[in-house]
Amino acid sequence: MPKTVVIDAQKCSGCRACESVCSLKHEMASNPAKARVHIVKWEQEGIFVPVSCMRCEIAACERACPQGATFRNYTTGAMEVDPYRCIGCLSCLYACPFGATFLDYDSGRVLKCDLCDGDPTCVKVCPTGALTLEDISKETYLKLTQNADRIPALVRAAMGGE
Amino acid sequence: MHGWVGKILKVDLSDGKVTTEPTEDYVDQYLGGRGLGVRLIYDLYQPGTDPFDPANPLIFNTGPVTGTAAPGSGRVDVTAVSPMSKLRAKSNFGAYWGPELKFAGFDHLVITGKADKPVYLWIHNGKLEIRDASHLWGQDTFNTQKAIQLELGDPEIKVVCIGPGGEKLVRFACLITETGDAAGRTGMGAIMGSKNLKAVAVRGTGSVYLAKPEEFLDLALQINREIREHPASLELSQWGVARGVQFSYQMSFFPVGYFEDVCWDEMTDKYPGPDYVQKYGIKNMGCFCCPNRCMNFLSVPEIGKVLTSCEPFSGFTGAVWNTDMNVFMEATLMVNRLGLDCTETSASIGLLMELYHDGIITEKDTDGVAMERGSKEAILTTIRKIADREGYGDLLAEGQMHAAEKFGQAAVDKVDQVKGLAPHAYEFRAYKGAGLIQAIGHRGDPLPVRGSVLELDWNNAPEWFQQVAKEQFGAEEAAIPTEYRGKAMLAVVSEHLERVPDNLGICKWIYGLFIYQDAEIASRLCQYATGKEWEVPDLLAISERVRNLERAFDVRQGLRRADDILPKKFFEQPLSKGKFKGEVLDRAKFEGMKDEYYQIRGWDSASGIPTAQKLQELGLNDAADDLAALSK
Repeated sequence: MPKTVVIDAQKCSGCRACESVCSLKHEMASNPAKARVHIVKWEQEGIFVPVSCMRCEIAACERACPQGATFRNYTTGAMEVDPYRCIGCLSCLYACPFGATFLDYDSGRVLKCDLCDGDPTCVKVCPTGALTLEDISKETYLKLTQNADRIPALVRAAMGGE
Repeated sequence: MHGWVGKILKVDLSDGKVTTEPTEDYVDQYLGGRGLGVRLIYDLYQPGTDPFDPANPLIFNTGPVTGTAAPGSGRVDVTAVSPMSKLRAKSNFGAYWGPELKFAGFDHLVITGKADKPVYLWIHNGKLEIRDASHLWGQDTFNTQKAIQLELGDPEIKVVCIGPGGEKLVRFACLITETGDAAGRTGMGAIMGSKNLKAVAVRGTGSVYLAKPEEFLDLALQINREIREHPASLELSQWGVARGVQFSYQMSFFPVGYFEDVCWDEMTDKYPGPDYVQKYGIKNMGCFCCPNRCMNFLSVPEIGKVLTSCEPFSGFTGAVWNTDMNVFMEATLMVNRLGLDCTETSASIGLLMELYHDGIITEKDTDGVAMERGSKEAILTTIRKIADREGYGDLLAEGQMHAAEKFGQAAVDKVDQVKGLAPHAYEFRAYKGAGLIQAIGHRGDPLPVRGSVLELDWNNAPEWFQQVAKEQFGAEEAAIPTEYRGKAMLAVVSEHLERVPDNLGICKWIYGLFIYQDAEIASRLCQYATGKEWEVPDLLAISERVRNLERAFDVRQGLRRADDILPKKFFEQPLSKGKFKGEVLDRAKFEGMKDEYYQIRGWDSASGIPTAQKLQELGLNDAADDLAALSK
């Protein structure tokens, strides 16, 4: 059964272990700039929001791609990018409502979470349970939306508002 | 290169000249991090140069494992000649700056010279720019970081900076990054201030390449799992050190006041730290890539938000007779924003409180502030005055001894310092090994190391830890706090173990004190990262070389056996109560431990100077020649 990574920003401690192991797994080097997950940090407020592909049901990245290079891997559930079809137009980056599709500035490649073939490395190292791997179910869906609902409040608090 | 990114960046602030040098030439002898930094400063520093002279180099050192996927890989070592001790300074900070420096392409950063107006450094993907910081001068450390991120337009820029304390050359000013990570001890903030350097901002998108990336990832995952299952990590990640502090008070490990008395029931039975953490702790946080979240992020309405661990929990409670955790919070936030070393600041306040208590000073000596034990006004006003160099704060800013000299001989007799610094706040009368390590160590505060923590651990399970001591340090007695036997070897092995994570640029709490207590795991990280076939004995051999070069540096600065000593209080006033009632250091036995230590080290026992033979054996021929020239 396909699973998905659930992000709970409220639990994140901002350690960036996910970024670090993601880059090592995919790029054979430690380099958070080439990770498929990023943590947006407000360190003076203690607020950290992990950002990574949400595998949308109707995926803006897939729709925006003029080459049909972005596709869903039905074995894992991940949205992937076929590097041979990709022309590097970055439409998917701009289309993503979460800012969760990334760019490798050195090569122009699109970086997108492929769920490590169904066994995500980031989830293994997350010490706080901010990233968990869960079955795709109604409960998971509710959890995803509830977690997402909390993010604007966290961000407002980080920006000094109420 | 693998592990190292390969370059040492050098900038001279006087003429703006920027150069680089390959890291590779040094690594076989000194590894990286702290060890390589010692070599750099040994070569760069001209003996006789004043700490505030532009020629005193300020050096930031990361290691081959810094910035990798290994847990706890966020550490940076900082060195210069200290304005407090005139010896080699050694400070260390965590968080995210060190990894970013490596992603920007540099292992080490060497800063010399002095800018003619306030500046900050902007290091970005292999480039360095010296930028105007006039508008940042006077800002506290939190605002400085935010302002630089805004100015350069990238919230992911990592900044290490000084506050008003460093700008005003308070001799124990520190460096701050984020809200609570400090290069606290030995006055590195004052050195930055003396160079008119407000901050160093870094951002990089480069890679740290690893010799065996797949093996490294597997090992990193294993370490991550082992840390999270470890009891020490479960404790630290929930409570930070708050409950450990109470235990340390109960075991007479932490002194109350200015090493005045122990077993104050307000600390042993009613220590308010854990409740406060439970009430105001938002979450626990750690450094780059670390699952062991040893720091508490506290948010108190009306006061503010701060990340803290370790020393403030005792420094701004028991050490200044304070039981009000809001005062602890305000004081911690103030020293972090102003950029002052918490340990030296709290000890300075503790000194004044003792002098006032004994009638040596009155409020007339302290601008009308009554230095009552535990007084909120005394604590907070003193911190502000130190940073502003106002009134008696100006005296304290020059150091505890300087202030005491103004108050007279009775005050001077009271000062408890080792090599110009407040010693680590452990009760050395009871814990003899910690006392030895404190006395013979580098910089005036070499603690904590494994040997001192082992003595505290002994209280939990004496037989078990005696067995550990026998296997790891050669004698069962090494673990028993009140024993003098076996402590010299405990000190030597602890010093070598400590330098392994420090040289690799990783956390010594994880790879030496609390999770892993030998160098095995660290050596495998080193192998997979660098591709060098170094086993544990090879890393320990580098540690020994580093320790000897550190000592040679300090000997060149005038350090001798007579300086390896503790304040006389520890030899004269036995503990009046508590688990170790009656304990006091015996001077002859203490000197006996030192003899044994110098003998194991291969140092001359009369002078405490490393012998030429020892230095040559370690490949330090130049240091041997330098020390020989001293005695001519």
